[in-house]
Amino acid sequence: MPRRRHDDDDDDLEPEEDDVLDDDEDYEDEDVGVGSSRKRSRSEFIDDVAEEDDDEDDDDDDEDFGGSRRGSHRAKRRSGSEFLDLEAAVDSDEEEEEEDGEDDFIVDAGAELPDEDDGQRMRRRPLLPQEDEQEDFEALERKIQERYGKSSHAEYDEETTEVEQQALLPSVRDPKLWMVKCAIGHEREAAVCLMQKSIDKGPEVQIRSAIALDHLKNYIYIEADKEAHVKEACKGLRNIYAQKVMLVPIREMTDVLSVESKAVDLSRNTWVRMKIGTYKGDLAKVVDVDNVRQRVTVQLIPRIDLQALANKLEGREVVTKKAFKPPPRFMNVEEAREMHIRVERRRDPMTGDYFENIGGMMFKDGFLYKTVSMKSISVQNIQPTFDELEKFRTPGETEDGDMASLSTLFANRKKGHFMKGDAVIIVKGDLKNLKGWVEKVEEENVHIRPEMKGLPKTLAVNEKELCKYFEPGNHVKVVSGTQEGATGMVVKVEGHVLIILSDTTKEHLRVFADDVVESSEVTSGVTRIGDYELHDLVLLDNLSFGVIIRVESEAFQVLKGVPDRPEVVLVKLREIKFKIDKRVNVQDRFKNTVSVKDVVRILDGPCKGKQGPVEHIYKGVLFIYDRHHLEHAGFICAKSHSCVVVGGSRSNADRSGDSFSRFANLRTPPRVPESPRRFPRGGRPMDSGGRHRGGRGHDSLIGSTIKIRQGPFKGYRGRVVDVNGQSVRVELESQMKVVTVDRNQISDNVAVATPYRDAPRYGMGSETPMHPSRTPLHPYMTPMRDVGATPIHDGMRTPMRDRAWNPYAPMSPPRDNWEEGNPDSWVTTSPQYQPGSPPSRTYEAPTPGSGWASTPGGNYSEAGTPRDSTPAYANVPSPYLPSTPGGQPMTPNSVSYLPGTPGGQPMTPGTGVDVMSPIGGEQEGPWFMPDILVHIRRPGEENTLGVIREVLPDGTYRVGLGSSGGGEIVTVLHAEIDAVAPRKSDKIKIMGGAHRGATGKLIGVDGTDGIVKVDDTLDVKILDMVLLAKLVQP
Amino acid sequence: MFFHIVLERNMQLHPRHFGRHLRDNLVAKLVKDVEGTCSGRHGFVVAITGIENVGKGLIRDGTGFVTFPVKYQCVVFRPFKGEILEAVVTMVNKMGFFAEAGPVQIFVSNHLIPDDMEFQSGDMPNYTTSDGSVKIQKDSEVRLKIIGTRVDATEIFCIGTIKDDFLGVINDPVTS
Repeated sequence: MPRRRHDDDDDDLEPEEDDVLDDDEDYEDEDVGVGSSRKRSRSEFIDDVAEEDDDEDDDDDDEDFGGSRRGSHRAKRRSGSEFLDLEAAVDSDEEEEEEDGEDDFIVDAGAELPDEDDGQRMRRRPLLPQEDEQEDFEALERKIQERYGKSSHAEYDEETTEVEQQALLPSVRDPKLWMVKCAIGHEREAAVCLMQKSIDKGPEVQIRSAIALDHLKNYIYIEADKEAHVKEACKGLRNIYAQKVMLVPIREMTDVLSVESKAVDLSRNTWVRMKIGTYKGDLAKVVDVDNVRQRVTVQLIPRIDLQALANKLEGREVVTKKAFKPPPRFMNVEEAREMHIRVERRRDPMTGDYFENIGGMMFKDGFLYKTVSMKSISVQNIQPTFDELEKFRTPGETEDGDMASLSTLFANRKKGHFMKGDAVIIVKGDLKNLKGWVEKVEEENVHIRPEMKGLPKTLAVNEKELCKYFEPGNHVKVVSGTQEGATGMVVKVEGHVLIILSDTTKEHLRVFADDVVESSEVTSGVTRIGDYELHDLVLLDNLSFGVIIRVESEAFQVLKGVPDRPEVVLVKLREIKFKIDKRVNVQDRFKNTVSVKDVVRILDGPCKGKQGPVEHIYKGVLFIYDRHHLEHAGFICAKSHSCVVVGGSRSNADRSGDSFSRFANLRTPPRVPESPRRFPRGGRPMDSGGRHRGGRGHDSLIGSTIKIRQGPFKGYRGRVVDVNGQSVRVELESQMKVVTVDRNQISDNVAVATPYRDAPRYGMGSETPMHPSRTPLHPYMTPMRDVGATPIHDGMRTPMRDRAWNPYAPMSPPRDNWEEGNPDSWVTTSPQYQPGSPPSRTYEAPTPGSGWASTPGGNYSEAGTPRDSTPAYANVPSPYLPSTPGGQPMTPNSVSYLPGTPGGQPMTPGTGVDVMSPIGGEQEGPWFMPDILVHIRRPGEENTLGVIREVLPDGTYRVGLGSSGGGEIVTVLHAEIDAVAPRKSDKIKIMGGAHRGATGKLIGVDGTDGIVKVDDTLDVKILDMVLLAKLVQP
Repeated sequence: MFFHIVLERNMQLHPRHFGRHLRDNLVAKLVKDVEGTCSGRHGFVVAITGIENVGKGLIRDGTGFVTFPVKYQCVVFRPFKGEILEAVVTMVNKMGFFAEAGPVQIFVSNHLIPDDMEFQSGDMPNYTTSDGSVKIQKDSEVRLKIIGTRVDATEIFCIGTIKDDFLGVINDPVTS
């Protein structure tokens, strides 16, 4: 460690120095000889240590003629430069310059003092080499050799071993290094002041050295044995704040003075980034380097606001907003001229190129050429992205430019870039284009086995001359860059750029060959940043919303919720307000209720005919995922009104459609706290609708949780996301993965864990909705049946049945009812269950492999039909509403209804009515009541508001149009109207339940429940919002 | 490429199938289970052509199921790199087109479509030569060469090229 040597020298020197200082004055006047010899000796040794004597001589000469005082000043200067030298000896040229500066500084200071010519001249003379002093010289030389020879050897000998170096490291016995605060920007000044002080005061100042580092602002280092010495030395210096003196740990002392190597040489065509100013962070290309002046000329894409520039040039007031940064855009000279900006065309005298000069800035081919200090650009670790490089590529540029970017890229390669077995190609030198395989990697050199015959077995090639090589069809993974993590197959190789077809998005990616490795893995890359994950619905600022369709390194691509045309925006994390995680239902064109996971088909718009499950619903806009849709990660955005639920009905008058949509409403009581993942319900009721129409029974599987019984994924559990003929796409629970498995290889009775048997969903305070659950239950059985014969399944099924139907079994829906705190209702309803009936169903079922799946639908319709004709049914009023809470109201009615039910029907009367009641079609129970505000929807007409005036016996309504009902009176079908949901503090009418017909005021809304203050009794009731309609007083 | 090979599989059979038709049931189940599946190693099982041998059944404790090792001959289809296939175009977009050769989906990137063919968007997106003589659209039949395959456990996906001699459209879709 050279540093310490110097310190030692310092110690030796210091006293002598002082002598010199003291004596110097005398020499000048009297003893020229001695003085000169001393003088010379010093200059001699300076020669040895630092190579600055030229400068010095120059200075001396200057001073000669300038007639400044020499003597003591000269001596000071000597000693000063000595200090500096010693400190800087480790450093390179840069330091030298600084020394010059400091010298000047001192000289200037000295120059103020007048001095007599004589003394100076006398002093000067001895410096020149003189024959008669030759002996002296030799003696001196010996002396110096003695003193410094050894050390210099130790320092500069290249063969110094590590051990020797170790010995030079500072130890506890050495002086310590202290860190002292000083004024920012005055670090050097502070160090020089200290030096000055030590020169002036001599041994009083007990510090050893002071160091100012260029890269460290606000601090200088002082070397001293004791803290007190430091404080003493700093006393009275205004630049140094010595209140706080910090000791540098011995271990870190070396780091303070080790010089960071600036190995990367700046050459033309390298890519750099700007560090400061408007262009901060921008990529730039070096076009010229001036090493002497430490300046580089770079090529940039201008960020110039022409308007602002025009204003400025014309001397108008420019309103400058600091935050505004014009986007990078190529300079268009024509445009500038149009704005009356003076454009001069000038020839650069150096290069002979023509530049457009606008307002002092140089442009060429639209690029800005700017000369900046080397310090304002960063050279290391530049990873230009594709887009950036693309922009820089001008038409005229050929392979050369490519190579330039390559060299930069190579410079930034990570260690261990090449691995054994990698296919590589040589891109530089004689062996260019030779392909081979990596055999061995040794630091810089890579041994490759060339592909061509007749060459030596292995060739050692510099790493920088190699580039990875891929062939179309290779499956690769991107390991760095913006696309990091993505996998895909190489489609095309363009030089060192690969075009990859991403596995997941089926899109083309452009990546550098250097950034990828061969891999058989299949991933989608990053899928989340912060709280937001791929495919989340998010609210952006300015109230737009959209689905994240891609996650890039620091931004998301969001498909905005603008129906009709796909609009994709790139947003940063901070631009996202929050994730929308709402469960809402909307109505499709035919008023079927659509909820998340329902499969819908788009009926019009650009994506007409596409079909897929709904992933998100927001503000009447559906986000549909169609895996056959390749753009936007398969997401399609459509208005709910331009879609139809698959398996739903075409018209709301259609009984099944309506009925199912009706309980689609019910099946998502938002009160149920459930993870979104586990929200598999969507498809089901709708599917059973499909079943009614005789078809798509299998779809019922969608959304259910199944277990894979066979195949490579045996034992995994997952949720069915899609059914396609015999294959089922299952989203595995344990892995972020959707796999396709054979339908036969799954078992869908994952016992109680299956969400659809989570009774609470249905049991929410009302047993009614629970019953409809049966309908979809059957389709669930279907595959089971198919697979069927397994005793396990049979075994599983029976208990499940029991669970569903045995009111006393734990977990059963009724039980939940019970938990709702309504035991009475339970007791009253339980007889309806007719203990015999479920078993009968079960007995009927077990014929293995029977086409059970197809029957239940029929069964039900049959079951429905007689009821329709039952007079009792026709009279049954609204209590059969789907969401009768608590089921209390059912009791009387069901009793009256019971006789009409065909005995032994598995359905309890209550249920039967429930499911069927809306199905009544034209004859449907008139559950709307007079004086309520309704929407009237008629095909081909705008939705209008109206107030029901009268309920006609044939199930139609006379409705007064207008929000107050004062308009024209029309007669509408039940199917064409729906009640307007009341808002808080609206007057309401209760359309069902025990309080049917009562009026009241909605004093609050809690999810789907409304808190109602009933007018008559002044009771506060909690009722389902479905039962509440806005009252319009006539 | 198609292969006629012998594969083995352990079949589980429900006890109720035991009896005279045990073998038939076993075969029926095998056909149902196996045909149309895809294994990364052998490719798609297209058809079972015969049963080589049914081993001794082993009764499983607890369930009563019996496991039979069944050796069967089957025709499998596995695409290989470099193979020339004829396929039907199923979808065309600006990045290229997808084609199907039986169960295998093949993507032909626009980089691997001859340069003189340009993408034409519209109602029926297609790739057309400048003179309009050749057109690739949905339902066209093309001959292509597979340049890369990605074999998952249950799926095989290929990348093909038609940028080579004798490759390209071989049959236009029936114009209706």
